[in-house]
Amino acid sequence: MPVELFTTLEGIWFVLAGFFLVGYALTDGFDLGTGILTLFTNKDENRKILYNAVAPVWDGNEVWLIAGGGMLFAAFPIVYASAFSGFYLAILIVLWALIGRAVAFEYRNKKGSKTWRNIWDIVYWLGNFVPALLFGVAVGNAVVGVPIDQKGVYHGTFFTLLRPAPLLMGIVGVFMFLMHGTAYLLRKTEGEVFELAKKFAWISFIGFVITLIITDFILVIVAPELYSNYFKYPLFWIAPLLIIVGLILYFKNLISSNFDKVIYGSTLVSIGTVLTIAFASYPVLIRSSINPEYNLTIWNSASSHLTLTVMLIATLIFMPMVITYTIYVYRVFKGKVSSEGGYH
Amino acid sequence: MDLLTLSRLQFGMTAFYHFLFVPLTLGLAFMIAIIKTIYLKNKDERLDKLAMFLMKLFAINFAVGVATGLTMEFEFGTNWFEYSKFVGDIFGAPLAIEGLMAFFLESTFIGLFLFGKDRISDKMHTFAAWMVAIGSTLSALWILIANSWMQTPAGYKIVESEQGVKAVLTDFWEAVINHTTVFRFLHCVNAGYIVGGFFVMGIMALYILRNKNSNIAKIGLKFSLIFSVIVSLAQIIIGDIHGYQVTHGQPLKMAMMEGKWETEKGASLDLFGIINQEKHETKVLLEVPYLLSILSYHDPNAEFKGINDLIKEYKDIAQKAKEKIPLLEEKLTELEKNNASKEEIEKVKAELAMAKANAKAYDIDYKDLPSVALVFTTFHLMVYLGFYFVFLTLFGLYLLKRGKLFESKLYLWLLVLSIPLPWVSTEFGWIATEVGRQPWIVQGVMLTRDAVSFHVGTYNVLFSFIFFLTIYTLIFFVFLYAMVKAIKKGIEPEDKNQHPLNYPSAPVGNITTFSKTKERI
Ligand code: HDD
Ligand code: HEM
Ligand code: HEM
Repeated sequence: MPVELFTTLEGIWFVLAGFFLVGYALTDGFDLGTGILTLFTNKDENRKILYNAVAPVWDGNEVWLIAGGGMLFAAFPIVYASAFSGFYLAILIVLWALIGRAVAFEYRNKKGSKTWRNIWDIVYWLGNFVPALLFGVAVGNAVVGVPIDQKGVYHGTFFTLLRPAPLLMGIVGVFMFLMHGTAYLLRKTEGEVFELAKKFAWISFIGFVITLIITDFILVIVAPELYSNYFKYPLFWIAPLLIIVGLILYFKNLISSNFDKVIYGSTLVSIGTVLTIAFASYPVLIRSSINPEYNLTIWNSASSHLTLTVMLIATLIFMPMVITYTIYVYRVFKGKVSSEGGYH
Repeated sequence: MDLLTLSRLQFGMTAFYHFLFVPLTLGLAFMIAIIKTIYLKNKDERLDKLAMFLMKLFAINFAVGVATGLTMEFEFGTNWFEYSKFVGDIFGAPLAIEGLMAFFLESTFIGLFLFGKDRISDKMHTFAAWMVAIGSTLSALWILIANSWMQTPAGYKIVESEQGVKAVLTDFWEAVINHTTVFRFLHCVNAGYIVGGFFVMGIMALYILRNKNSNIAKIGLKFSLIFSVIVSLAQIIIGDIHGYQVTHGQPLKMAMMEGKWETEKGASLDLFGIINQEKHETKVLLEVPYLLSILSYHDPNAEFKGINDLIKEYKDIAQKAKEKIPLLEEKLTELEKNNASKEEIEKVKAELAMAKANAKAYDIDYKDLPSVALVFTTFHLMVYLGFYFVFLTLFGLYLLKRGKLFESKLYLWLLVLSIPLPWVSTEFGWIATEVGRQPWIVQGVMLTRDAVSFHVGTYNVLFSFIFFLTIYTLIFFVFLYAMVKAIKKGIEPEDKNQHPLNYPSAPVGNITTFSKTKERI
């Protein structure tokens, strides 16, 4: 493993950026996964359970994205500016989807009519599916490469982003979130929703494995440089190994009906997937397809050492507190959910 | 419309919209926490019911606050590329700390607060209410630190980097507690408390008028009236000090807010006036002599600088900076030739970069000014409303003392009709603040027109603007519908079988019914 990851501020911030991505994938990841199931059941009661399963925690989970975005802005401002303005429409579509999700929670049950609820369910579904897909597409584009110049200005269009490799990575992402979401439901629900979750746990597991393998082959062709780190730093193999161990755990617990423990598998898979991509790309944050010299790396895009230090101190103080009270709140809400109550 | 105008319109519109919900979040969270604390002490059931009712309204408002806040964070990157690149080193940190310190706290405990009531003790529930209130206040603190830095930047230097010039942090605390931070924060948060206070007063007054839940409504009115008296009075004092700070940090903005074109000694405060931007004059309709000098310099004979002189002054600064550039460049080559120490070279480089930025940013003229009439009017109306709030609430206090508060129909109706006014003054305050600081996005170092994402196509921004406008309008109507419905339903539903919070057959705040047999997660 490259020592700069732990001995330089830029390296440490690369690790922390990975930490926030993992945090997001593990927490809001299961929200997105459960949300994608809403349109796969027609019963209002089941849909309500799907909302209720995440109602008390989704907002806190979403903050991983908000804080992560803030961190990116603070630690690597040019990367933030370049990606957000370059992927303008894609970013705003994710934003609009997330707005829809936030509002759907609160307003779905405000009126009795079925049409009203159906409309909100569609909004909610889009609010989960669209980000789940586009996060992977965005990461895929950043690591595979986009046309940016030496000032970080993006020269492509919206459709530049929808090339096969990044799109496939988006689909891998959807299956990953779905695996995690169904694993969460296997723990939190009973009855019909539980059965639905079981079905989709299998679907997403198989989907993930297949798309992951295809993506791998395509990446070997379109972006072979992504594999060079793995020859340079053998310890990086930990990450893909985590995916494999996670997949085995997921499979084993599903097949032996250890439903409570399936989530351990999807947790490892999520961590492994995020890290595999991060390690492949290191130290590049956004690859330039115009000229490798224009790559935005942790070295040429990081903030001043003073800012990085201040942010590091803030993270070290507040992150343990955040994790502590988050665990507390999850414990308060432990147990199975039903369709009663929830947002009204 | 060009890209810049569209980007400004979109940012202004989305910020304006976000700030329809933010103040109520701030105000209600704080009030609910206080009510719950009093309830813990005296165990008066009515207070608990009141808090639960307000909590429901809070949830309706909070959802939109969260959704629209997300927009603000994204927009810096999407629409203000040059700006984000330029100030990311400084501006990003408060946003990130806001997430770490405030949003996590607020958003995690909101779940516990809204859905956990019957799984935790009353004490813990009150604690959760306080965490939500503190979280929202902290989030206001950090975002206002960021905003204040743009208004009165401090603790930074300017450097050249591979991807262009940028501002770099040199002193964290100086940047954070810059010239206007403290009072902008107090003023803005207190504005939220006024919004909350008037909102609750209005609803309670309505219930008393309609003879609905009047037992609880009376306590609620009494509480919110006393709360409103305090915060309304405080706002005048804080506002005065805030204005004093602004005069010193941003004299041009103050001159526009007061409509002063000419420099005056012993300046009068113009209460009403008509601005003529073309002719650079204000037709004063009513004035109070000396008051402006007293307010802004605490001295009746102090000189108050007018717009005309300030523009000259800024042009002067720009000129001086321009002249400094070749000198500094010479010095730099000389130092480099003589192998001077790295520190010395860095220092001259920073001076040079600052001179370049100033030469560009201070070179402004009358055509760069925003609408002075808009700044003048919104500022004045905000202040008048502030005084109205004080009079209205003090009069209520008087009625309360005489025991006539609950009988005075006229006064109660006045309270109901006054619900929207604090919103008007908060939005007007922001318009005065933000429009008044144009043409700069970062005062003295960066012009707004240089900050935009120039490579994002105009049609993209046009499309996103229209889309935002559409969904925001839709959401606003859904919000109003839900709010009105919840208020109509009342604190205690008529149907005795139904629970106050309308959770069908479940205990208060209960989101879920759990099988108690197995412990999970
Ligand atoms: C004076 C206070 C204040 C001001 C000026 C702003 N906000 Fe805000 N914001 C809040 C006070 C607040 C709040 C009261 O804390 C909110 C409202 C509802 C909520 O969840 O927190 C919030 C929500 C909120 C959220 C969602 C947080 C969540 O999911 O819990 C984000 C990302 C932002 N804001 C970001 C911004 C940005 C980038 C702003 C600058 C343009 C901004 N806000 C102006
Ligand atoms: C939430 C309440 C706020 C409202 C209602 C508001 C309102 C506005 C308005 C009306 C403009 C347009 C000014 C013009 O174009 O002449 C503007 C500009 C701007 N504001 Fe705010 N503002 C708010 C808060 C903030 C905060 C907290 C920040 C920073 C963190 C901020 C950053 C900006 C920026 C970057 C611009 C530049 C775009 C422009 O000048 O048009 N605003 N705002
Ligand atoms: C009556 C006395 C008041 C005075 C003297 C006063 C003074 C000021 C001043 C000088 C500013 C401009 C700050 C700047 O340009 O940077 C301001 C802004 C503002 N005002 Fe007021 N104000 C008063 C009442 C109110 C009231 C009653 C409200 C709302 C309920 C309010 C809400 C705001 C807001 C939200 C801002 C923008 C944010 C900020 O800069 O704090 N003000 N006020």
